[in-house]
Amino acid sequence: MQALNNLFLIIADFIRSLFADPHSVWANLTMDVINFIIVVIIIVLAALILILLERKIAGWTSQRTGPNRLGPRGWFQTIADALKLMGKEDVTPAGADRILFKIAPMIVFSLPMMTLAVIPYGNQMAPINLDLGIFYFLAVSAISTLAFLMAGWGSNNKYSLLGGMRAVAQMISYEIPLLFSLLGVVMITQSFNLGVIVQDQHTIPFIALQPLAFVIYIIAGIAEVNRAPFDLVEADQEVVAGPFTEYTGLRWGLFFLGEYGNMTAVSALAATVFLGGWQGPFLPGWIWFWMKVGIIIFFMMWVRWTFPRIRVDHLMHLAWKVLLPLSILNIFLTGLGIYIYRLVMGG
Amino acid sequence: MFGKGLFQGLGITFKRMVGPNITEFYPDQKPVLPTKVRSSMGLQREKCISCNMCAMACPNGVIKLTSEKDEESKKRVLKSYHMDLGRCLFCGLCTEACPTKALTVTQEYENAVYEADDMKWDMIARAERKGKEG
Repeated sequence: MQALNNLFLIIADFIRSLFADPHSVWANLTMDVINFIIVVIIIVLAALILILLERKIAGWTSQRTGPNRLGPRGWFQTIADALKLMGKEDVTPAGADRILFKIAPMIVFSLPMMTLAVIPYGNQMAPINLDLGIFYFLAVSAISTLAFLMAGWGSNNKYSLLGGMRAVAQMISYEIPLLFSLLGVVMITQSFNLGVIVQDQHTIPFIALQPLAFVIYIIAGIAEVNRAPFDLVEADQEVVAGPFTEYTGLRWGLFFLGEYGNMTAVSALAATVFLGGWQGPFLPGWIWFWMKVGIIIFFMMWVRWTFPRIRVDHLMHLAWKVLLPLSILNIFLTGLGIYIYRLVMGG
Repeated sequence: MFGKGLFQGLGITFKRMVGPNITEFYPDQKPVLPTKVRSSMGLQREKCISCNMCAMACPNGVIKLTSEKDEESKKRVLKSYHMDLGRCLFCGLCTEACPTKALTVTQEYENAVYEADDMKWDMIARAERKGKEG
């Protein structure tokens, strides 16, 4: 049991032991490269599985079966779709801002790679153990706003530009309640380090202490990754997929990978901060972690196929007039709680 | 309660998700059609008395049949029976007119063809082919 729990640590130690000095520069570099590859594999696998799961859940909610042709019950469908995307022509529209148009999908894809690198996947299993983990995560994920605007502006298409503008308005607005909802947990643990936050949840996950913050985080998180009911950025019926309209082939595929990678990252942060990360009885930590992430992702998909898209003015209304005051109230209550706790415990 | 509808909606979709699907896996599993479906025509040659009632009942002139007199039994025997399915309404008036119920509507529905001429059915040949198949 313990060996299975530490499986990846044992593998890492074995690779390090192949070097003369297990903590030399070259050993560290090798481990960093391996960690990088693992994070990329996580994103690609997540996209492959989640796209199919999304279509399956879309089917199940409308009493269909979803893709069922390729492979066992259709589970190889995404691979065929990815191969098809690779064969597509790479079109750059006339009058496009070529540089912005070409680097935007790369940025969108690189961001979940950077954010997923600080998540602890198990006991001491964070690829990079940053002391400012949450801070870094939020700072990096905020850049995706810029990538969407670059894609919208670079496409030389009015719908794309509208979508890009909407991305900026929406993502910047929802960034604030998202940030504030995490602040309560930081106040309790007195640390930005995700590893420490998970360690502190060994008695009780923070969802029990911060239920309001969890609800705010999930709502703002769904808005942050542009999923329905907050998918105004790529609203197909209004702005024809928004910033993605002009993209074809692999560049469009990169957007898709980035979108599902971002979704995984937001769910991973929720699982880490509120649901206790890799903490859990009986099963190995990394299985617990992915189970928690899976539950949140399933919830996001469930929400997507249940609710219609929110109206633009209601979107802003919800962020500034509902979520923001609630998150500030949550910070106040958390502070009050900590103060009372100290008074009672005599700390 | 404020926001109650959201949970109701989630509940409905979850019930749909775990409930049975209504999809029919058509090429793999043939659907069971209602008995009233009229999608094809079938002829039983031995029952036909070549009375030409079906051809007269047809509003579109789909049916063309010829017959000849059998010298021994002094009865009329069906020689040829053609239907132009491209003009058929599947109204079933011909089967109602048929005094011996030799002509019936059937429920085969995979009648798509590539050439317009393939819609001109030789009913006798079809009946024989069907008899051979089973």
